[in-house]
Amino acid sequence: MKPSKFEYNAPTSLQEAVEILENNEEAKALAGGQSLIPMMNFRLAQPGALVDLNNIPGLDYIREEDGSLVIGGLTRIREVETSELVRAKCPILSEATGFIGHLPNRNRGTVGGSVAHADPSAELPTVLTALDAQIRTFGASGEKSFQPQEFFLSYLTTPLESSDLVTEIRVPLPATHAKGAFMEISRRRGDFAIVAVAVLLEIDENNVCTNARISLGGVSDTPLRVEEAEELLEGETLTEELLRKASAFSAEIADPESDYHATAEYRRNMAQVYTLRTLKKALGMEEEGSK
Amino acid sequence: MAAQKHEVTLTVNGITYERSIEARMLLSDFIREELDLPGTHVGCEHGICGVCTILLNGQPVRSCLMFAVQANGGDILTIEGVANGTELHPIQEAFRKHHGVQCGFCTPGQVLTAYHFLSENPNPTEEEVRLGMSSVLCRCTGYNQIIDSVLAASGESRD
Amino acid sequence: MDINGKYTFNAQPEQVWGVMLNPENLRDALPGCDRLAEQAPGQYEAVMKIGIAAVKGTYKGKVEIADAEEPVHYTLRGEGSGAPGFMKGSAVIELQKSDTGTDVVYKGTMEVGGLVAGVGQRMISGVVKMMLKQFFQNMSKKMPQQTN
Repeated sequence: MKPSKFEYNAPTSLQEAVEILENNEEAKALAGGQSLIPMMNFRLAQPGALVDLNNIPGLDYIREEDGSLVIGGLTRIREVETSELVRAKCPILSEATGFIGHLPNRNRGTVGGSVAHADPSAELPTVLTALDAQIRTFGASGEKSFQPQEFFLSYLTTPLESSDLVTEIRVPLPATHAKGAFMEISRRRGDFAIVAVAVLLEIDENNVCTNARISLGGVSDTPLRVEEAEELLEGETLTEELLRKASAFSAEIADPESDYHATAEYRRNMAQVYTLRTLKKALGMEEEGSK
Repeated sequence: MAAQKHEVTLTVNGITYERSIEARMLLSDFIREELDLPGTHVGCEHGICGVCTILLNGQPVRSCLMFAVQANGGDILTIEGVANGTELHPIQEAFRKHHGVQCGFCTPGQVLTAYHFLSENPNPTEEEVRLGMSSVLCRCTGYNQIIDSVLAASGESRD
Repeated sequence: MDINGKYTFNAQPEQVWGVMLNPENLRDALPGCDRLAEQAPGQYEAVMKIGIAAVKGTYKGKVEIADAEEPVHYTLRGEGSGAPGFMKGSAVIELQKSDTGTDVVYKGTMEVGGLVAGVGQRMISGVVKMMLKQFFQNMSKKMPQQTN
């Protein structure tokens, strides 16, 4: 099928884009198009108007500011993936972006678009939940900001109003000695994750874990932080046995659906298996029997 | 009521075209229908199969996931622009020699992906080729022949 | 897929029955329901606009209330089809008196097919759960205020 007719707008300023979105309830924002255009090609989405954001200058940037990594909403995923700054300061973000689709998707897809799309199986929402990134938006009612748990509400559902656009992500920089890892299981490289795990650990000079963050993707209608596992690990020296105990919480908190890629039981099981693998990978521990 | 038309200017394989089209025309269809360059194939039309891959401003994109109006002012390479007249590009020659082509449906996407991949990674390992070429699906070759072709084009061979 | 669950209303079974089986309440409570017109006793023609984010579709079909035994249980059947696909489901709904009011226990199955099922399969049960939650939340607004 081909997309249905729509009115095409290509504003050159954020303000203009917001005005069009506010005044036309049929209008939808178009960023990278890697999620929206497939839906339009199927006619699952038939917006009466598109607001192409790609001509708005000043929204694609990656910089360090006040202890945070600040990324503009229109920054291409590929830019984040190849950024030396991101690789140096927040390696799990680099790692996670490498799993997003394939190169052509990453060339067009944007950070803001992926976040606004809020697919719970997507890598960016999962890793940004572990990083506790702040999501900043701009719309007809001005600037707003959200933490991940306030933003990812359900499948493709966020608190964004029709004219709100994701303009910036602010990622608090992990401590320089922090250890992190991102892993996902999918049938083929580049597919949506069956289960994705993002882990960030801070270990002090006495080998005690002072901060643990574990985020799961693909096991619910939003990314999930495994808080009970995090609490178990904090304040302790991380032994394999403790990591195993912590990973069990992932299976408990996971509330996945079945589809033809994987059953709910499999996803729940993999949540546990991959939490353990990702924790071990972050800590540089040997893993028997895995690729 | 006639649909609204938009003016676009695109350079494709070195030639600049000006056209007046509907916004909803996909870049893949623009290339095939407006410019009569049917080498860019349309498979799944939702960004999974990769046969529609072209290079836009030097970067591989899925042309079925862009509207032609979005590529206004862009510089595009399609499969028709890879050979030098009747002289095959080394990548095409490698695909021919190592049976990287069977039905040919995915071949334009494969060749353009390889073209870009080798330009950034001229001496890849087999593993790197497998990953780098994974964005285009093939139902015929079982992929090994495509890997062989790309390695051969880079001057390497698969073990 | 199976749809099982329970929702507790702070009202007596007779009151819950009256509210839940009222066609106007049904139309207001069913998410996206534009039209619910009675064709025959217990049989309704329905038009529902369902979707999340940019993916919206209009489904036309039927809703049927059968095997009703007031105020204990009834069977709800529905089917609808539209451009994005079709859906068909049925559930047995039981009203059980509890300490806090009435437990509405539902047990049923639902089938979704067509384009939306092919493309959005992993989201369907999640979306159905979300819609059920909305349905019950909307219904609870219709329940008579309890005075203690």
